[in-house]
Amino acid sequence: MRGCVTTFAVLIAIWTAPRAATPRFFPDDPIQVDDDRAVDASGTQEIEGSNAYDFAENTFFSQGDTRDIRAVNVNSVDEVPDSSWFTNRIGRRAMTTAEIARGPNQLDSVNIDDWPIVREKSSGITPGYHVVDPSGQLYQVKFDPPSNPEMASAAEVIGAAIYHAVGYNVVQGYIVEVDPSRIVIAPTASTVDLSGRKRPMTRRDVDRLLARGARLPNGKYRATLSRFADGQNRGFFKYYGTRPDDPNDIHPHEHRRELRAARVFAAWLNHDDSRGINSLDMLEGPEGRRFIKHYMFDFGSIMGSGSTSPQTLRAGNEYIMEWAPGLKTLATLGLYVRPWIRTRYWEGAKSVGRFEGDVFDPVKWRPEYPNPAFGNMRADDGLWAARLVARFSDEVIRAIVAKGGYSEPGAADHIVNTLIKRRDKVLMTWLTGVNPLGDARLGTDGVLEFDNAAVSARVTSAPSRYTLRWSGFDNATNATTGTPVETTTTEPRATAPPALLGPGRRSPISGAQFVTVAIRTTHPNYPVWEMPATFTFRRVSNGWQTVGVDRVVPARRPR
Amino acid sequence: MRARSLVIALVMTVVSANPLSAQIPEPETREEALRREREAKAAQLHPPEPSKLEKTLLDLEAGRLFERILNPAEGLYPKFGSITAGSGFSIGPGYRTTQRLGGAVDFSTFAMGSLKKYWIADARVQLPRLASEHVGLDAHVQSYDFQDELFFGVGPDSSRSDLVTYGLRNTVVGGLAAVRPTSWLTVSGAADFLNPRIDPTTGEAPSIDTRFDDASAPGLADQPDFMRYEGTVDVNLREPRGNPRSGGRYLFTYQRFDDLESNAYSFQRAAAEVQQYLSLFRNRRILALRAMVSASAADQGAQVPFYYLPTLGGPDDLRGFHRDRFSDTHALLLQAEYRWEIFTAVDGAIFYDTGKVASRLEDLNLRDLESDYGFGFRFGSANGVFLRIEAAFGSSDGNHFIFRFNNVF
Repeated sequence: MRGCVTTFAVLIAIWTAPRAATPRFFPDDPIQVDDDRAVDASGTQEIEGSNAYDFAENTFFSQGDTRDIRAVNVNSVDEVPDSSWFTNRIGRRAMTTAEIARGPNQLDSVNIDDWPIVREKSSGITPGYHVVDPSGQLYQVKFDPPSNPEMASAAEVIGAAIYHAVGYNVVQGYIVEVDPSRIVIAPTASTVDLSGRKRPMTRRDVDRLLARGARLPNGKYRATLSRFADGQNRGFFKYYGTRPDDPNDIHPHEHRRELRAARVFAAWLNHDDSRGINSLDMLEGPEGRRFIKHYMFDFGSIMGSGSTSPQTLRAGNEYIMEWAPGLKTLATLGLYVRPWIRTRYWEGAKSVGRFEGDVFDPVKWRPEYPNPAFGNMRADDGLWAARLVARFSDEVIRAIVAKGGYSEPGAADHIVNTLIKRRDKVLMTWLTGVNPLGDARLGTDGVLEFDNAAVSARVTSAPSRYTLRWSGFDNATNATTGTPVETTTTEPRATAPPALLGPGRRSPISGAQFVTVAIRTTHPNYPVWEMPATFTFRRVSNGWQTVGVDRVVPARRPR
Repeated sequence: MRARSLVIALVMTVVSANPLSAQIPEPETREEALRREREAKAAQLHPPEPSKLEKTLLDLEAGRLFERILNPAEGLYPKFGSITAGSGFSIGPGYRTTQRLGGAVDFSTFAMGSLKKYWIADARVQLPRLASEHVGLDAHVQSYDFQDELFFGVGPDSSRSDLVTYGLRNTVVGGLAAVRPTSWLTVSGAADFLNPRIDPTTGEAPSIDTRFDDASAPGLADQPDFMRYEGTVDVNLREPRGNPRSGGRYLFTYQRFDDLESNAYSFQRAAAEVQQYLSLFRNRRILALRAMVSASAADQGAQVPFYYLPTLGGPDDLRGFHRDRFSDTHALLLQAEYRWEIFTAVDGAIFYDTGKVASRLEDLNLRDLESDYGFGFRFGSANGVFLRIEAAFGSSDGNHFIFRFNNVF
């Protein structure tokens, strides 16, 4: 009996002992790569997209989880790790202007003379077809509209370069001139007629497409050449939920930082066509280690381009169907005139389309219809994106726009100036929407340095002061320890309390293992900066490693 | 022994309740934690399952059925809409093929029928691209049977209580030549053989022969065959043409109807129509105006048959009146619409229609006009209005609800 009681006591002790709870920071935090290629995804199937359904489900219904929560795929320092969705480029390393302008392209230029047409382009509104190069690689050719030569093709390559530099997967895209006398139709080339029947493609079909393209003075047709991505087509991704057949897709898309914050880039570039249908999932990788890579594509309707015509007046200002202004217009019999109807656009070059930066408002900007991830975007997502936008200097923008090959006088300048104007508005809006501190480093000498992104980007003056609240941190319980120590500074630089770091602050062997500092920023123009940004540091062999960045974020704006 | 059993049972209960006993160790790295999530999901994979609606829309888009229905350019397609005012919803097969015989010839044909037993069959061969598309030729044959046409008597004072119905059958065979020196000017000439036939009806309303005779409805007793010659000058500066927002259209038509049997019903007609679109707020508000005048003159000793008299009333002109409510030798129509964009592809409209018919040209003035007003909605794009829903009020003919598959003008 005594033995039984002892056993019982031991088991009770085990049961009631503190559990080895998941620590706040793992040893490998902050992860730089989210290995979403870890599990073989060979079983995925192609998802077909319906334009009408995509419009309807996002316009008339709320999709995905709409909770106001932090993006779920950020690492512990509030950054997006590399994944099959996103590769940190301009945000992580210095890129040369030439590298940014080159974008995803592997070649300097392409001549598609005699590349056989294998089929007519079947999706979208832009006329075009598919060709193969001598190695068998498939490409898509899309023509500029006759009314606006150069408009769509320039938009395509500019958009691809910017999205690529930011970190998204985009396909290679080139501006080409199609010589009608050097068009070859493969014997197996096909088209689908209006009854949905597949039939052989003929020269008449090609001429019909060319008739809808912009003819250059030299008799050729300017077009966009897009290289098909490697791998097998698995359709597109939606901006909510996860693919049910992809084991690696575990983060709901509406809460992925790079998808929520894509709203910032879309607004900057007026990429109103940023929707699931304009994405691409490709199955890549070797047998047994296949994974889906997620692309953004079709930038032909960004900036002032609407692909086959200039952007509509509504584009970027209002959803296709937005109830409040519509009903207001209905009720007032049209006496209420939506503000965007009165917006004036520069009309000095057809190749520009409709693109302006004076009225543009990064917050009010809208895609064609609601995007669940965009709707979930919070101020911290906006800050993340804006810090990337800030990397695009005037010089870089100028170099990217030059890639568009605008020939009309003033066209390139207008695009450059408008992009700069819109960039500045993006920065002003999203670098100031939350306490914009980042890049915090705690030196072995106990000196903390950090960056105020809004000040660095020169969108505002230096704040009055920073108030720092220092504490120890218990990684197991995710709680601060000891009595907090508060200090203030006017510079983005401060010394940690020696007592907190301990006598061994210059030595890794003693003192606190984790230190946290919550910084409130006082600026007369931005009271929201009083909400603290908290940085947590872990003692490592050669000093302190930044392992945690947390922000208190104002409530999300109404969707 | 009993106590021992109790202790063991208690221990087992505690052990089984202890989460540690059944759990695998906590992940030690972030990477491991994420990999475990993925491995857990890998055990629950299932293929994407589009909803029925999504599948249906996918099939429609893959088959390009929307394009086929809304803007068919080639092949077999379902044609639907209205055959004529009063026909009701009509549907039937259509077929189109273009650029045949070396690219010059287009051929189209369709047949449509409605629940009100209206039907029409039409076939035409066109050469629209001659002389770099400046010249077009058209040969056509058309046959129709409209079984419920309305007639209230001739003249502006006809009584609503005199409503009768009649059937109109006709076969039209002819050709047209058009010259288009510019994109906005078309001059055309046409010649058609017509053989109209009037039939009594057996519907709810009295048949025309019960209330009218050849004196009060000229041509009721006997319908000859006709040759119709027509010349038209069409200045079309509307933008966009399918659903105008600006510009105007100025149309002048002269017609000559030759009675091929006795000359008793030979007559000529001149008609002029002006449409003007005043754009406000970047085409988001439109003031649309239309004026139309039609004047006919019978040959010496002849009359204009009642079934070829110009009429007013119906969903395209005096919308607050029954279709063909007024008919006489001459007609005047004035319409004004204020249209405003509510959503993309949805416009609201407020309208006012007024007009009159007269037996003498000098009576075709602005006195004693019939009028109506109303409001409505238009659904469509720059290519055209595919649905028009309107309510018309204010006439002496009651309120009218209009559901049409075209624009009014």
